Amino acid sequence: MILLASPSADTLTTWKRGVGGLAQIFCTDTLDALKQSLEHSKPQILLLDHDLPGVGIPTGIADLIKLNPAIKIVVFSGPLADEAEWEIFKAGVRGCCHKSIDPKLLNSVVTAVLQGELWMRRTLTCRLLDELGKIALDQSNAKQATSDLLASLTPREHEIAALIGNGESNKQIALRLAITERTVKAHLTEIFRKLEVSDRLKLALIVTGSLNTLDQT
Amino acid sequence: MQPITVAIADDDGGRRARFERSLQSEQGIHVLADVATSEGGMAGNRRLSPRANISAIENVVARIRRLKPRVLLADMKQCTDEDCAMLVSLRRECPDTLVVLLADESPQQEERVMQALAKGARGYLNLEEDTPHISKAVHMVDRGEAWVPRQMLGKVMDQVLHWCHESSIEVNLDPTC
Repeated sequence: MILLASPSADTLTTWKRGVGGLAQIFCTDTLDALKQSLEHSKPQILLLDHDLPGVGIPTGIADLIKLNPAIKIVVFSGPLADEAEWEIFKAGVRGCCHKSIDPKLLNSVVTAVLQGELWMRRTLTCRLLDELGKIALDQSNAKQATSDLLASLTPREHEIAALIGNGESNKQIALRLAITERTVKAHLTEIFRKLEVSDRLKLALIVTGSLNTLDQT
Repeated sequence: MQPITVAIADDDGGRRARFERSLQSEQGIHVLADVATSEGGMAGNRRLSPRANISAIENVVARIRRLKPRVLLADMKQCTDEDCAMLVSLRRECPDTLVVLLADESPQQEERVMQALAKGARGYLNLEEDTPHISKAVHMVDRGEAWVPRQMLGKVMDQVLHWCHESSIEVNLDPTC
C-alpha cells in the first residue's frame, strides 16, 4: 500500500497519477489522519509533503517513523539547503525529491526506494560518505581508547572485570577467587577509576565489547 | 579548462588498456602514466619500488603524490586490510586525489566496500556493469559527487543511522552492586 500525505488536493491528484498501478493508494491531508493511517493501515511507503502542518518541525518525521518503524518515507519539498536535507535523511527518510518533480518519475522513485535504494541527490552523496568516514573514525578511536584502558588493568583486575562481564555478583566473585568481598570491592574501585566508569553495568558492557569508554560522554 | 587527470592502477593489463583507450577518447580527460599493480592488489606492488627499504604502500603513495592524478581508479577487488591502509595513506598524503575502486559486486564484498568507502574512497565501479560508464563516473567524482549505486547508498545510510543510534544510547543503569 502506498500512502500519500499532502495538504494540497492538486498535489495528491498528481501523485496518484504518478504512482497509479503500483499498489493500492491511500491519501491523507492532515497530520492526525496520517498518524492513524501509519498505525493502522501499515503502508509500505509514504510520499510525504514537507509542507503538511506538523511535519516540518525537528521531530516531525522521527515521530512518524516511531508509529511505523518499517515505513519507507520519501519527502517532497521546495529547494532545501544541503544541511536541512541531510537532517531529513538523518531522521530516517529514504528519499528526498523536489516538489516539482516530473510525475512520470514518481513510479521509479517508489520502485527504487521499495527495493532498498536511497533516493538522494548526487550532490549530497559525498556528505553521506564523509559522515560514514567520520563515524567510522570515531568508532575506531573509541575502540582503541577502550583497549588502551583495559590494557592498564592488572591480571587480577582483568579477571574480576571479566567475571563482572559474566554478570557475577561480588559475593560470587569472592567465592570463586577465594578472596573476601571487601577485596573484590577494593579491586572494583580501582577498575572503575582506571576505566573511568561509575558502575558495574557499564563495566560489564565495556568488557563484553558493547560499550566503548568514549561512548559514555 | 584543465583536463581531469586520471591514473589507473589495475593488475589486469588487458582491462587497464581498455579503460585507458576508453578514457583517452573522451574530451576533458587525460590518462596519466601506468600505475600498475601486482598480484594481491595495490598494496602488494613491488614494481613501483624506487627504494627497497620503504613499504609497498609508501611506494604507491609516493608515486601518486608525484603524478597528482585528480582521479585514481584502483583495483581493489579483494579490499584487503592493506588496501584500506592504502586508502587512509592516500587520503592523508594526497588529499586532492579522489579514489574510485574497481570492484566486483558480491555480497561478500559489500562489507569490504563499505569499509573502503569509510576510509575515503569516493565510489566504486562494478567491473561487470559499470565499464561503459567509466568516463561519466570520472566526471561526477571530479565534480565532488560520489559514484555509488543507490542500493549501496541505502546500505551506507543504514550503517550511519545504526552508528548514530548506538552512540546516542544513554547508558543509565543502577550503580549499586
